[in-house]
Amino acid sequence: MNPPPLVRDLIRATSRQAVLWRKEDLLLYEYDALSALRQPEAVVFPTSTQEVVRVIRVAARHGLPVIPRGAGTGLSGGATVAERGIVVGFSRMNKMIEIDLENQRARVQPGVVNLDLSAAVSDAGYYFAPDPSSQKACTVGGNVAENSGGPHTLAYGVTTNHVLGLEVVLPDGNVVHTGAKFWDRPGYDLTGLLVGSEGTLGIVTEITVRLSRLPEAVNTLVAIYDRVSDATQTVAAITARGITPAALEMMDGFTLRAVEAATHAGYPTDSAAVLLIEVEGLREAVEEQTKTIEAVCREHSAREIRRARSAEERALLWKGRKNAFGALGRIAPNYYVQDGVIPRTRLPEMLEYTAEVEKKYGLRIGNIFHAGDGNLHPLIMFDARDPSQCDRVSRAAKDLMVKCVEMGGSITGEHGVGVEKNELMPLLFSDDDLAMLRRIKEVFNPSGLLNPGKVLPTGKICGELRVLASVGA
Amino acid sequence: MASSVQSAHMEFAAWVGSDHLSDDPAVCRAAAVDGKAPALVVYPSTAEEVAGILRIAATAGLAVIPFRNRTQLDIGNPPERYDVGLSLKEMNNVWHYEPSDLTISVEPGMKLGDLQYLAAQDHLWLPLDPPGGVKASVGGMLATNATGPLGHGYGSPRDMVLGMKIATTEGKIIKTGGRVVKNVAGYDLAKLLLGSYGTLGVIVEANLKLYPLPRQRATYVLRAKSLGMARELRRRILATPLPFLRFLLVNPAGARWLRQGTPLAVESTKPEIWMEAGGSERVLERTQKSLEDLCREAGVSVETCGGAEAESVWNHASEFRHAVVEAQPGTVVVRASLPIAACEEFLSAAQQEAESAQAEFAALGSPGVGTVHAAISGFRDLGEAGSTIRRLRESAKQLGGALVVERCPVELKAALDVWGDPGDDFDLMRKIKAAWDPQRILAPGRMIGRI
Repeated sequence: MNPPPLVRDLIRATSRQAVLWRKEDLLLYEYDALSALRQPEAVVFPTSTQEVVRVIRVAARHGLPVIPRGAGTGLSGGATVAERGIVVGFSRMNKMIEIDLENQRARVQPGVVNLDLSAAVSDAGYYFAPDPSSQKACTVGGNVAENSGGPHTLAYGVTTNHVLGLEVVLPDGNVVHTGAKFWDRPGYDLTGLLVGSEGTLGIVTEITVRLSRLPEAVNTLVAIYDRVSDATQTVAAITARGITPAALEMMDGFTLRAVEAATHAGYPTDSAAVLLIEVEGLREAVEEQTKTIEAVCREHSAREIRRARSAEERALLWKGRKNAFGALGRIAPNYYVQDGVIPRTRLPEMLEYTAEVEKKYGLRIGNIFHAGDGNLHPLIMFDARDPSQCDRVSRAAKDLMVKCVEMGGSITGEHGVGVEKNELMPLLFSDDDLAMLRRIKEVFNPSGLLNPGKVLPTGKICGELRVLASVGA
Repeated sequence: MASSVQSAHMEFAAWVGSDHLSDDPAVCRAAAVDGKAPALVVYPSTAEEVAGILRIAATAGLAVIPFRNRTQLDIGNPPERYDVGLSLKEMNNVWHYEPSDLTISVEPGMKLGDLQYLAAQDHLWLPLDPPGGVKASVGGMLATNATGPLGHGYGSPRDMVLGMKIATTEGKIIKTGGRVVKNVAGYDLAKLLLGSYGTLGVIVEANLKLYPLPRQRATYVLRAKSLGMARELRRRILATPLPFLRFLLVNPAGARWLRQGTPLAVESTKPEIWMEAGGSERVLERTQKSLEDLCREAGVSVETCGGAEAESVWNHASEFRHAVVEAQPGTVVVRASLPIAACEEFLSAAQQEAESAQAEFAALGSPGVGTVHAAISGFRDLGEAGSTIRRLRESAKQLGGALVVERCPVELKAALDVWGDPGDDFDLMRKIKAAWDPQRILAPGRMIGRI
């Protein structure tokens, strides 16, 4: 079978080995970690900024949208094809161009895997602070697109706090450079605007990040509770003592049992909830803060508080946490994970509400989340083969998001809007708000060539319904 | 233009009340920017009033500059037009304050000092010490993304803003972000407004992240023998895990500024490093010990500085940019933003420039983040000031950085863009300005590229 004209053009723009176009090769690219949407017309793997420019020009000539993709670990469908388009995969643009320790900077291509960057500088005592649970696979480019978080963003901030400059290809093929290696370049902060824009404003081809010093000491604690409310009340009580832990995670009993069955990390299976708390920093500070946190946990009726005694034990606890979504996959055929955010003081109330939603719709919901940030990840378990369940899941998810917004929070803390929540943006934003966002999009992406159907509402079928329907497909 | 101001005057009065505006020449002169006074100053007290003022101004094509305490207003190119001063001094409300969430929502006119006072009741603070210090307003700090020495430990407003409400030139109030610490719904418009110097919209409410106040603090002075040694110390200090709050490198004249009014003796010829640490008693003991060890190895003396004196020193650091100009009108203040490793080299280049122009030179740098504030005074004439600025800008560029002229005689501003040359992303900035402020009524001409 001869390649169609589009593919021939893409090959000319890159190389024969850089283009996938046979149906069986494209199957994988229907998916990200949320679900499957449509097959792209082709997938292309550029190796340089110039190739990205040429690909964009081919796409424009063929009137086909471009969808940038890192490792496909996203949870809101951002790297999937909403209608038609060419997926631009960045797995071959994975060079660390410059590591400059004295300036605490690295300049990398977007396909560099998050954890690889940290590994490359760890011997020198540095790391890249954003640590999404998928960090073994996800790419720095994807982190930039989604403004990814992770458990340790509580103390260190999310991706945007660690990105200083970008090289960006615009849909007209122009290449621009935003920000700089240094702080606070004069002019509008386009870097800050581009981070988290989910590939809808430009295609990032190079990223300058800040490298952080590895802490001198780390303590990892597990506080075990017989009542969920005791655990949630502990969270705000810790911050009230003037302590910002590096990470403060919560898992409820249901989630724990699944995690333990999958990972054998040593989490108690008979408890109602645990807090996984990490403090980092100067040895003396870590010691003192650990004691204070232990006291706060005990005041809030923690049944037991364990300290990880070794790096292995710590790694195992985190493995359990970071693989928790996968572990829950053992329990039901499908799960739908939410990403709402609330002020952390409202956690007790929110978890009670989640329990009500569970009852109301007859669904099982696992709770695992970045408690310190108030960033919730309720996992709604269901079977996508049952249409009535899909409908209930969708309504339950919406109830939870509405509640988050009512509490002064957000519908997404780190997973992004994508195709999943774009139709729910009006929960959070007025028409006037959205109009100003659209004007920004028109400046960067006037033709809509870049990642259409994401972030902003399209006025079509509710994104999440579409997503849920496709999960079972 | 005067007639359109007059006809708009009635509309403004109807909108905010005639007691909330003034065309008194003295009032207008006090609101002047780079020597240009507006015809009218309005004092809105609500976000809706701000939005309405912008709508009226846009319809009449009147240029508006928002301000509060004028601590950052000297930064920028001269306004191309300036008809209406928008004073935010009546917008001081705290809309939401939840100490346990470490968040606060305030209006832009609130002064940093008032915010700190409120937060301190709960052992919290907003860790910013911008030029102007406690007099700086929240709106002004955010619109200019202003930082001081605390930027070393805490970053800039960019890292502390969770969300904001913005009045647009169409008279709408839009929101971005929220009151929670993580939020990725929609484009991060707050980043766009931070450091936009009032050229895109007016921040009418800001949701800020607060931080626990350090339990105790200690200030240390290191007397480096040379800039070369200062570089060596910077490398060693940044290689330790010690979490300093502030880290300042000053030249001898800078040291005199910091120490004035205190009994601290000045070494007249050597650069100094000033550092502040925070935490528990044990943490401070450890910090001091580590710092002493490090300095002994480097052959440098380290002293601790007492509470009241330290406070005075840090206040002087915040007031530096204003105080140098007040002390000697005509002083040029530049801010170089550099790769961290280039800080000392820039200081040395600047020192040479000043010497060859036979000018006085005082500098405060944050070597941990790579910024240097340098004040140069006593130029023979404006021409020499201009050419010195150009050479300093060139050396910042060669070191991989950029240079902004933060204060200089207004006559100089006609000949140079205080922001320096825009980059290849300027076309996007221009288009954003056109999309948000099509009539160019907000601080026209003031930002980079006279946008």
